[in-house]
Amino acid sequence: MNESQPVIAFDHLTKRFGSFEAVSDLTFGVAAGSICGLLGPNGAGKTTAMKCLLGFLHPSSGSALVDGAAVGPKTFEYLSYVPETPALFGDLTVRQHVELDRRSQPRHDPARAAELLRTFDLDLRKRVKALSKGQKTALALVLALASRPRVLVLDEPSSGLDPIFQRVVLDLLIEVATEGGTVLFSSHQIGQVERAADHVAILRAGKLMLHSDVETLKGSEKVVEATFEGSVPELDGRLDGGAVRRIERAGNMVRVSVKHDEEEIARRIQALGPTSLRVVDRNLEDIFLDVVAEKG
Amino acid sequence: MLQRLGPDPLRSHLPAIFTVDPRSGVPIYLQLIDQVKRGVALGTLAPGEQLPTVKSLALELTVNPNTVARAYRDLERDGVIETSPGRGSFVRPNGVAPSELRTDVAGPAFDDAVRAAKGVGLGRDEVRQIFERTLQRWYPGEEER
Repeated sequence: MNESQPVIAFDHLTKRFGSFEAVSDLTFGVAAGSICGLLGPNGAGKTTAMKCLLGFLHPSSGSALVDGAAVGPKTFEYLSYVPETPALFGDLTVRQHVELDRRSQPRHDPARAAELLRTFDLDLRKRVKALSKGQKTALALVLALASRPRVLVLDEPSSGLDPIFQRVVLDLLIEVATEGGTVLFSSHQIGQVERAADHVAILRAGKLMLHSDVETLKGSEKVVEATFEGSVPELDGRLDGGAVRRIERAGNMVRVSVKHDEEEIARRIQALGPTSLRVVDRNLEDIFLDVVAEKG
Repeated sequence: MLQRLGPDPLRSHLPAIFTVDPRSGVPIYLQLIDQVKRGVALGTLAPGEQLPTVKSLALELTVNPNTVARAYRDLERDGVIETSPGRGSFVRPNGVAPSELRTDVAGPAFDDAVRAAKGVGLGRDEVRQIFERTLQRWYPGEEER
């Protein structure tokens, strides 16, 4: 993986709407073969950043590039985008949408399209206005993937889909990445990012709060979990040393988040005689909530 | 009925030993490493046996392919598997001895057990007695030499 030459590159991207700064000085990249999950609360700037990347919005300053250049018509031969609300025609059928894609997209692969339609169990004869929200999302994904794109940008790619199809969507992203493709997707479902992404970027109020390799990030802070018979003994003063970030108690269990020296903290808790004790990685949801809740 | 993606040959019928839980607190690549080692230790994965490709395992488990690749790299470094370009990854015929891997797999379980015993306030001798009784139950008639 060539980190120095990312396929998708945001470079000091800023986008203002009047006096409102939707994206502020955003810099990060996505390498070939990588899947990057974009997380952030509503209004954090995820969609705006994607639209700048795709050329649908003009940056106020900085840039958002694909393969080192601004997106042009040629780019869309190998880049597919699935917006949060897919642009489909209510009166046209599923078959007509596939036909439109075949005519307008030089790399449309009919066999791939047919395979994807079967995968999502879409009825070719149905008009789009008769489809459910999830089926519309599925159709947009079929059209996006029928051309076997090398770069894939998806805004909430599984909205309206049931858990089984959400898993299918993740598998589709994984398939693109195993073939050397590059994927950037936004999601509110942290579990999806935790599974499918190797990198995560967290936005808050237009700013990049964090960009990291997922496993490194989860391992960068440890949680010492201990259960006690009866109640958790008083820990005050026993865990001093600055490494402890947070202590959470629930019933007879305590979770101590530590930045480093987790072995030492574990030893000190062990001395209090817990019935069980383990040191685990933090989960992405805790990290996300911490980052988003941090005083800005 | 849901159809899985991709041509069928990619979806080899994988042994059920491969499962991951992204939220368990153990990194996914370590979970995979542990499962391959366990498979080799138990003989579920025989020497010379081919492992699923990175792509098929990533799709089977719905995990990032780079995570699977990392697990395979570490297993190769540890001498458990070998990868030949274009052919795939295989359990090394003369790799780490299954007996050595068995120790790797069983060790942490003893650690947990002794910790639990210590946690409820048992002393060293009491733990030793429990251990002897347990040994007796699982290895009946085999006296210490």
